[in-house]
Amino acid sequence: MTRYVMTADLNRCVGCQTCTAACKHTNATPPEIQWRKVLDVEMGEFPDVERIFMPVGCQHCADPPCMHVCPSQATAQRDDGIVTIDYDLCIGCGYCMVACPYDARYKVDEARFAYGKKPSLTEALRHDEGRLGVAQKCTFCADRIDEGTAKGLTPGVDPEATPACVNSCIANALQFGDIEDENSNVSELLAENTYFQMHEELGTETGFYYLWNEK
Amino acid sequence: MSARPETPVKNKKKVPTYCYQCVNGPDLLTVEVVDGIATQVEPNFAANKDHPAEGKVCVKPYGLVQKVYNPHRILTPMRRTNPKKGRHEDPGWVETTWDEALDLIAEKMKATREKGLLDENGDPRFAFTTGGAATPFYYAGTLSAFLGAWGPYDNSLGAGGTVKCYHSEHMYGELWHKAFTVMPDTPRAQYVISFGNNIDASGGVTAVYRQANARARGWTRIQFEPHLSVTGAKATEWVPIKTKTDGAVLYAMLHVLLHEHSADELDINFLKHTTSSPYLVAPNGYYLRDPETKKPLIWDLQINGPVPFDTPNTDPAIEGSFVVPHAIEVGADDETWTHTDTSVTTAHEKLKAHVRENTPEWAAEISDVPADTLRRIANEFLGAACIGETHEVEGRVLPFRPVTVVLGKSVNNGWGAYECVWARTVMQVLVGALEVPGGMLGSTTIISGPDWDRMANVFPGEDGFMHFPFNPTDKENWLQANEMRHAHKLLTPMVGDSMFSGLFGSTSIAWLRLQGRAAESWAKPQPPDVWFVYKCNPSISFSETSRLGESMAQFPFMVSFAYTEDETNHFADLMLPEAIDLESTQLIRVGGQHYFEQQWEAEGWVLRQKVVEPQGEARDFSWICNELARRVGILEAYNDMINVGACGIPLKTDSYDYSLDPTTVHEPDVIWDAVCKAASADLTDGKEVNDLEWFQEKGYKVRPFSSINWYLYPKLVDQGLRFELPYQERILRVGQQLANRLHENGVDWWDTQLEEYEALPTWKDLNKLWDNIIEKNYDVKATDFPFWLLSARSMQYAWGGNTSLQFIHEVASNVAGHDGILINANKAAELGIGEGDWMEVSSPVGKAHGQARLRQGIREDVIVMIGQFGHWKMPFAKDLKVPSLNALVPMHPDFLDGHGSSIDATKAAVKKVEKLV
Repeated sequence: MTRYVMTADLNRCVGCQTCTAACKHTNATPPEIQWRKVLDVEMGEFPDVERIFMPVGCQHCADPPCMHVCPSQATAQRDDGIVTIDYDLCIGCGYCMVACPYDARYKVDEARFAYGKKPSLTEALRHDEGRLGVAQKCTFCADRIDEGTAKGLTPGVDPEATPACVNSCIANALQFGDIEDENSNVSELLAENTYFQMHEELGTETGFYYLWNEK
Repeated sequence: MSARPETPVKNKKKVPTYCYQCVNGPDLLTVEVVDGIATQVEPNFAANKDHPAEGKVCVKPYGLVQKVYNPHRILTPMRRTNPKKGRHEDPGWVETTWDEALDLIAEKMKATREKGLLDENGDPRFAFTTGGAATPFYYAGTLSAFLGAWGPYDNSLGAGGTVKCYHSEHMYGELWHKAFTVMPDTPRAQYVISFGNNIDASGGVTAVYRQANARARGWTRIQFEPHLSVTGAKATEWVPIKTKTDGAVLYAMLHVLLHEHSADELDINFLKHTTSSPYLVAPNGYYLRDPETKKPLIWDLQINGPVPFDTPNTDPAIEGSFVVPHAIEVGADDETWTHTDTSVTTAHEKLKAHVRENTPEWAAEISDVPADTLRRIANEFLGAACIGETHEVEGRVLPFRPVTVVLGKSVNNGWGAYECVWARTVMQVLVGALEVPGGMLGSTTIISGPDWDRMANVFPGEDGFMHFPFNPTDKENWLQANEMRHAHKLLTPMVGDSMFSGLFGSTSIAWLRLQGRAAESWAKPQPPDVWFVYKCNPSISFSETSRLGESMAQFPFMVSFAYTEDETNHFADLMLPEAIDLESTQLIRVGGQHYFEQQWEAEGWVLRQKVVEPQGEARDFSWICNELARRVGILEAYNDMINVGACGIPLKTDSYDYSLDPTTVHEPDVIWDAVCKAASADLTDGKEVNDLEWFQEKGYKVRPFSSINWYLYPKLVDQGLRFELPYQERILRVGQQLANRLHENGVDWWDTQLEEYEALPTWKDLNKLWDNIIEKNYDVKATDFPFWLLSARSMQYAWGGNTSLQFIHEVASNVAGHDGILINANKAAELGIGEGDWMEVSSPVGKAHGQARLRQGIREDVIVMIGQFGHWKMPFAKDLKVPSLNALVPMHPDFLDGHGSSIDATKAAVKKVEKLV
């Protein structure tokens, strides 16, 4: 079996938003829709302050609350763990957006573009009517993974088979791979580092691990 | 669940190119093009073995696709119809043709040439301004050839350089270790002390990548800064130092190293043989010299007597006082003293005495940093220096000293910066951690020679030190001509005489003189007859920006190469659309070592190419230069400049000849094809010649570059040279001679600046200095401005010229402070200011408004405005309602340091206001 997961090393991430930008390019998301982004978080009080940059997005849970509430079976889970949305089945009810503990789902009802109602040449080329009025979120770049693995490439190792955000990360904070393969890069990272998962108490068993070395 | 519609695609390709939107470029990227339309940017994965950060690209290039298709672009040449210029005047833009526009420029430029290249004051009649630390030249095609063919031009009308740069680090860094910019040997460093150096936002891809690796490796980084920056967030320890007290902390650390440790605990061998520490200092402050050879003397412990510094096999004394029977001392203008039986000490002893009173307890009072913390960090620095250890690079055994002190902007420029850059470099020297593996390194030379070959600039100068091209200050050779409106070579002799020297010195002086506010004994300069503005927006990016617009409105003929309308081209007579990043062609050098952390083990050339056809009437800058050269009547000289190397490499050498016929116009592709061939031939010693088509397909070509070239120490030692530290005899002499020359010519308004030319810089209380300057020059009380208003680097925006891009705004908004003013949450509560409330920030010269963003990672006496905003004209940007500190930073001669720079900060007052309409 394969289960794809992502790791984010909080010691490495500088919050530069290169992953945010690369995700927007790859997935042609409309303005203000960011399937991947990095939060800029402060903890503590002056002068004992920690400032942390935290990549967020769909956590590709093993037990995804969004899927359980989906009345149309649009949200599903692949054998490799990636949580998917079938835009043709989605009725846009938005239950999943409420159910997601990670605030990772979006819905855009009307076409919107960077500079008003008129799309640029790129936006016109890449605009997808099928994504209007339905839920959308990070896909772990499943298309890239499928195209890459079809060519015999390894997700997380070969850029052509790896999510765009991971490819783009200039701090090598984001990594991707098969957690079921004990020799994969993510398995090794998880073996060597302390880590946590977001809202672990909810039992969602996320496919997104935060590497975190307490100072 | 496809992310994209399955539309049939006729033609999809990935095109390699580069991004050079900041000094940390070039980033190597590919752009996906679908049916002729650019769609997305990716790293050039093919470069992952050659590039020091796996060929990754920064966030800014992802804005380039939207930049092409931005509906607010100027896509047709535009001519002003309203002769009245002013912020509130409508320029009355009308479309014109390239032909008409170029003819108009040619007419003005020909008339200028006929009048003479220099005006009655000796200032160039033609001026050219750009920004981005000259990175726009990586987009400007053959512009250097045009400027070279034209003759003298003025580039003193700065867009922010010398204020918004590392000015003192540039000057002194290059003097001391060929380090126009300074960095740790990050791959090997173990302990870094930073004073506001925001490298994780300013250092580009390679710096972020290497720093992340260093953190993963477990290095220590101590960050002194008043506001917890992106880089501070990643540091081991944040020390919230009081603003502008860095010098005190650095002096206290010197005190700890020199007075709380014996000389044996320092790198005594390095000090004796690789620095000026053993040079004997005579009673008037200059070196004690041998009467015969005039060489500086050292005290040789083996013979227990004075010998010239370069005597073989000596054991130089570092500490102690000595009586020298007979010697001379040579001061300014060759004033010579003869000394008999004089008692002298070493430069090292002078250094020790200089910081004797600067205890950690003294600095704690000034800086708000506990003495124990200062002492601990200084001792950790010494301990981490690994004195005695070695590291082998390319078979050569070198000292290994994995410690560095780095400085950030507004610490390493303006008043106090000399103290800071000097003290931190002396700290490096004391532990032998300068230009050796693990230690503090330079990466670029600009003042002393070609920026792509730093080692070529290491050769002997005076007194056993490296050569440095000070402009002459002696009576015989002093150049009285200003050359440019900021008189850079005259007022600030350290700027040298290179192609880029005009970008240094004091660009503030140029604007202040045009406003009649500086250099009162000199005639007020005339505005340039013709002014070109390229890829910059000084109305937004300089200081006291409202007055800058008033100055520009007086300029008779201004040509702006315009991307959108903005706050500077609002004053222009012509706006011309250039083919931008993804629309035009240029070949440039890549690799080697460059700027903040660009250290490669490869060097070569990379192509920027026409990824997509230019939009509208936008034209390749090389085409524009061709046409200007032809119409102005300097085509042959222009082509000659291309042939001799203005595009980065000569087209003809003894080994190859790709030179162009100088009498005809060559299309850009023809020019760059020749450059590609020359560059590849040079790179491979003639073994391979690659044309433009080859580079268009492959993107770049490199050969190995040895990492031994990252370190200057071996080159220095091989030539028997020493670092010119700690004592600054040459600075003292140059300053005194400059004072003599200026006084002989009736100039006394530069006297305060001349005080900075000290052999050992005196610590200054900069908070007091600011208060005094404010109260002296403005009708205000210093106590009315209790805050320091600071800026912080925005990686997403810096130097990108991308403020009009929605895409960049969107992603940058995830980083705190991009949409308002950062203020300490507790302080805000005290002032009745809540999150999102509107604040008015005032300084002695202006007011700005923005929304409060409450944070804990900021001192209570500091507010921060990130980046440079405050737009009132640029589409999209003007609706952001984000303030800029540039409108509030006063421009006044009193703020200019000895080399003409001032800081990018101001004292300020804060109050809550009702929401602005």
